[in-house]
Amino acid sequence: MRRWKTWQKTILILVVLGILAAGSYALYVYYKPHRDVTNEKGVQLSAQNLYDAFKTNEADANTRYLDKAIELTGEVGAVTKNQDGNTVVDFKTNDPMVVINCTFKTDPGTLTPGQTITFKGICTGYIPDANVVINEGVLVK
Amino acid sequence: MKFFFSCIIAMLFVVNAADAQKIFATRNGQINFSSPSDQDVKAVNNEVTSRLADNGQITFSLLIKGFKFKLAEMQEHFNDQYLESTKFPRADFKGNIVNLADVNFSKDGSYKVSVKGDLTLHGVTKSITANGTIEIKAGKPSASCQFVIVMKDFSVNASSVTEKVNVDISCQYQ
Repeated sequence: MRRWKTWQKTILILVVLGILAAGSYALYVYYKPHRDVTNEKGVQLSAQNLYDAFKTNEADANTRYLDKAIELTGEVGAVTKNQDGNTVVDFKTNDPMVVINCTFKTDPGTLTPGQTITFKGICTGYIPDANVVINEGVLVK
Repeated sequence: MKFFFSCIIAMLFVVNAADAQKIFATRNGQINFSSPSDQDVKAVNNEVTSRLADNGQITFSLLIKGFKFKLAEMQEHFNDQYLESTKFPRADFKGNIVNLADVNFSKDGSYKVSVKGDLTLHGVTKSITANGTIEIKAGKPSASCQFVIVMKDFSVNASSVTEKVNVDISCQYQ
């Protein structure tokens, strides 16, 4: 059998390495996990603080809270399920039209209105006259 | 005494006026979108705030960062490169049911509707018309509607991924 020349070997090795790199990048992209707030340190706030910030200056509140892990402690106003079956808790504010709408990604068990809980999730923003939205959340206590 | 009665009558009118318009609302409606050309490009938002009034007014608002993709990497590109969700966090639609006379909000049934209004997305506002269905069940409406958004209409430069997306709305009101 003919012996491989050094330059041929080099090219072969480079090609194989290239294929491996492209393949692992594709796998990384495909299996990259979604963000999980469970072990993130959240910004601690009350429902009223969070609403006040957005009501006073939405742009400023966006830079401070959008995409951040928020840890809200307060009294549960309402408990519902969204159309995909995840539990949603509304925290009341002093405006009867406005709540902090919090969606759990894991099942928090039985929650009842009036109970005080701490919820941690990712803030997606503010819809004026309706709600501040936090989703992908977990029950802290 | 006469004044007293006038007050009562005036109050009755006020109460009647307030009662005349009924508003149904949800904070957790659902909007899905998908690309007709790439089946991986699809996402769902379960925090759609919508109000539907029996005078035909209908609004939808959602937060772009609330769209959840199967692939985390795709979700990042969607937010950072294409929709620029930090700069434009929200999408809003405000419109009216064109054929309001065809809908009876106090009678259970399924009603075909045409809705016309303004959609603001990625900082661009465009007038759109879409056909959908309003279903009344036990006095509570739900709305469903499918339409197509062309990316470049809203200055979204996503041609390497998809030129347009199919949007699917499903909202159950209280």
